[in-house]
Amino acid sequence: MSELATFVTLGFRHIVNPGALDHILFLLALAAIYRPRDWRDALWVVSAFTIGHSVTLGLAVTGVLVLPTSLIEFLIPLTILATALENIAVRERGRALWHGGYRPAFAGLFGLVHGAGFANYLRGLFVDNVALPLFGFNVGIELGQVVVLALAAVSLVVLDRILVFAALPQRSGTLRLRIVTVSVVVALVAARWAVERSPF
Amino acid sequence: MGAVIAVIVALATHPLHTTLTQVAYRDSDRTLELSVRAFADDFRAALKAEVTDSSAAAYLRSTVTVFDRSGRALPLVWCGLRRVGDAFLFCLRASVPPAQGPNGLRGLRVHVSILFDRYSDQINIVQASVGGRRTALLFLSGDQPKPLL
Repeated sequence: MSELATFVTLGFRHIVNPGALDHILFLLALAAIYRPRDWRDALWVVSAFTIGHSVTLGLAVTGVLVLPTSLIEFLIPLTILATALENIAVRERGRALWHGGYRPAFAGLFGLVHGAGFANYLRGLFVDNVALPLFGFNVGIELGQVVVLALAAVSLVVLDRILVFAALPQRSGTLRLRIVTVSVVVALVAARWAVERSPF
Repeated sequence: MGAVIAVIVALATHPLHTTLTQVAYRDSDRTLELSVRAFADDFRAALKAEVTDSSAAAYLRSTVTVFDRSGRALPLVWCGLRRVGDAFLFCLRASVPPAQGPNGLRGLRVHVSILFDRYSDQINIVQASVGGRRTALLFLSGDQPKPLL
């Protein structure tokens, strides 16, 4: 296997691993409000997240930015919690601030935090000749994200069908019920992580 | 719902487990030097004891193997350990027999099973740099020895 392929594989396995469930739940929280026809909006948000985590991953692994691991591990669940709570709080996207157009900005900002989390993992091992491992790892993470988001999209469609089948969405609509269901679970998990990882 | 949340929380309580072994070859005395980098908390947990030269050397000799062309395991000589940030850096050396050919590493195979006995998601990476050529191998649990070049 080439050196690049090795680190792409490492990045891919990092994101599609139960140990990276915090990143996966963040992606799920981001994706929870979208229907298949909203794929352009979802793409903007995920792209912003990607840019954000790529920036801090590069800065942190090369030593330009040094952030304490305990603080980053605490901030990551807070980004998940904030995203899930925003999902629940905004009932109508059309009436939200900038029609919800702030979500890519928040995803980019939160991506900065998640990138620092990836970096803490990489920096412990790769101290020199870091460019290729960094690039390959990041490509692997992007590929892993595509898989996670595809699975999330399928899971959300299945959840919609279950909600329709159970005749639950009579009052609030299937999408709203799905958003609240997913976001409540994600928010509770993130809140528990935040308490467990609190450095204070 | 409480059970679901508890399971999700428990699933994400550990990071991905990885080690990095960098291999360098010195042609002048046919010496192979292996620098093994492992996260300190993972390694301590695997040893279930204080990390000393003797305990680390014994563990690494049982989990890092370099085979010559005939399939014989090369003896690994311990050359020390040091702590670098969150990780330990271990040093092992092997003398490569002349029969391995002019570039020394052709035909050598390597196997790294560090922490496979402890973590199901353990990944061990081997990076080799010989004569300006760089290569990398990735070992997962159950993998067989792989050619170094």
